[in-house]
Amino acid sequence: MRPHPVWALVAANLRRHSRDRVGLFFIVVMPFVSIIFVGMALGGGTAASRLPVGVVAQDFDPVAAAVLRELRAHPDLEITAVAGKAELRAGVRAGALAAGVVIPPGSTKFELVMTQSNGSGMAARSAVDVAVGKVAAVIEATRAATSAGATPAEAAALVRKAEAASADVDVVNSSTASGTPRGFAYTAPANLLLFTFINSMAVAAALAESRRIGMLQRAFAAPVRRGAVLFGEALSRFIVAAAQAVLIMVVSSLLFGVSWGQPLGVATVVGVFALVSTGAAILMGSLVRSSAQPSAIGPPLGIVLGMLGGCLWPSEAAGDTLNAIGRLFPHLWGMDALLTLSRPGTGLGDVLLDVAVLAVMAAVLLSLSLVLFSRRTRIL
Amino acid sequence: MTNTLTCANLSKRYGGAIAVRDVGFTIAPGEAYGLLGPNGAGKTTTISMLVGLLKPDTGTVVVGGTDLAAEPMAAKAKIGYVPQEIALYPDLTGRENLRFFGRLFGLPRKALRGRVEEVLDLVGLADRADAKLDTYSGGMKRRINIGAALLHRPELLILDEPTVGVDPQSRKSILDGVERLVADGMALLYTSHYMEEVERLCHRVAIIDHGAIVAEGTRHELIELVGGVDRIELTLDGDVETALAKLHGVGGVTEAVRTSAGSVRLIAEGGRYLLPAIISTVDGIATVTAVEVVEPDLEATFLHLTGSTLRD
Repeated sequence: MRPHPVWALVAANLRRHSRDRVGLFFIVVMPFVSIIFVGMALGGGTAASRLPVGVVAQDFDPVAAAVLRELRAHPDLEITAVAGKAELRAGVRAGALAAGVVIPPGSTKFELVMTQSNGSGMAARSAVDVAVGKVAAVIEATRAATSAGATPAEAAALVRKAEAASADVDVVNSSTASGTPRGFAYTAPANLLLFTFINSMAVAAALAESRRIGMLQRAFAAPVRRGAVLFGEALSRFIVAAAQAVLIMVVSSLLFGVSWGQPLGVATVVGVFALVSTGAAILMGSLVRSSAQPSAIGPPLGIVLGMLGGCLWPSEAAGDTLNAIGRLFPHLWGMDALLTLSRPGTGLGDVLLDVAVLAVMAAVLLSLSLVLFSRRTRIL
Repeated sequence: MTNTLTCANLSKRYGGAIAVRDVGFTIAPGEAYGLLGPNGAGKTTTISMLVGLLKPDTGTVVVGGTDLAAEPMAAKAKIGYVPQEIALYPDLTGRENLRFFGRLFGLPRKALRGRVEEVLDLVGLADRADAKLDTYSGGMKRRINIGAALLHRPELLILDEPTVGVDPQSRKSILDGVERLVADGMALLYTSHYMEEVERLCHRVAIIDHGAIVAEGTRHELIELVGGVDRIELTLDGDVETALAKLHGVGGVTEAVRTSAGSVRLIAEGGRYLLPAIISTVDGIATVTAVEVVEPDLEATFLHLTGSTLRD
């Protein structure tokens, strides 16, 4: 059986990448270091990483007691009693507390203390909203029962009964309340995009090297069509990008319990993003003069695009200007699609716009880079 | 016998500048053909057109009976091209590099393994086959570079400066190997800066300058083109003085001087053809005990034809 020349290129290129220890470290180890550290910083996964929320309240106040009970019952919150408002403000400002709640005695007007919107503050706020809403509903229901003629004891019993019946609904609601998932559910897709792109940029070094040492000209002198050589080079880089993405998905779901969502949707988004990365890698490999440049230019470029795309911090924390700029680059669309897919009940149909934008970017980058690459490897 | 390579009327121009003008030659099976020229003379442009990397503006290339322009895949499959630079993956081993080229040339999977071993033996690197290429010496890299072009058993081998930066031992091994391939019937196109390599290997030589072939022929024919004046050193036993006087009268001899008690130097046109006349002239006067004919070399011819030395 005659092997196809494309496979000769793919086999040789993959073997070269497997020999590059620094490159392997960046593919196999770095993404997970980043996922774990950033994930823990953003309150990922385990009990130790619950959001700290400070509360200023008098225990004897019945409303305050009810709200406190609800807040303490919330699985994502770590409630600390704080003596005064000033102390609470200081704690939030210093970052020791994600948010603070002040419950004045005898009042139903609570004060919420939080810094300018950031991921954990937003998450804490939505949890507090849920707890307060529950208490408000109980008070409202009790008042309604009493005014309908029930004794306070009867009213309390009725409300408890109703509360028990609606508890399941409340829990479901509260878990979907926050916009951006926290912890590993956020850092895993963020780092998938970040490292798929950065490592694609880094493998462009091998492409530049092939160009520099005349490997490609020599391949063009073999009985192989020009298109097949270009396809082989592109496929080699696509396989690296896709392997990076699959590795992050498998490890993050096994170790950190990240649920990625509908397989078809995720495969499509990750597939087109890997194509975008491949196009960018070939463009880099065609433009640079030396094989040292891609590994110097690639990571900073990948990190800046990651910043604009919400891979380093949630995009709602970035502000409209940054997000508007981010829309010009692939990361923001990829992030949007992956976060959408991570919500239960969503599928490919919910991310069609993101996929379409990424597909256009991939098509433009791939055709531009392949034309340029072909031109750069032609003898003049 | 049909020629392995026939190229004719090859021209290539870039903008206003003519890189190659009307180049044509043939190489028969088992023939080694040298292409000599100063830097920028058009050697690499010519070779690029022969191996299908560059489309000529005019002219044809036929390899083993196959027209390169009409059937590029079939024609390229008959060529083994060794570029001037070491075009190999430095992070792969010698064996892996050969395997890559074997696959690229579509060698069947089963045949590939055996053929890689054969080529490793041929280039004398079987014992270093599993070391990474960037641990090889310059000469070893050059040998793998040539080996990579031999895997598919080409009819025509094209070597572009294959011995640049090579130690004398590797150079000898490369030249010996190439000579064996030619003896086995492979056609060879060879370019080099080293005149002695071309003189040793090539049956015929073309001198290319400013994009055109200015002279072509066997080494001897080329030297004669310059109107070669030879120096003949004779060692005589007998009446040297009388012999010297007689030698002045031999047609073609322009100068004759006694250099020591028993030796005479003659300057003559077409020296080696005069030897019978010279020996019969001194017959009975003195005995010729040794003779050396020093011909002008290809280097001198090259200098004469192109106005430059090969190594500028």
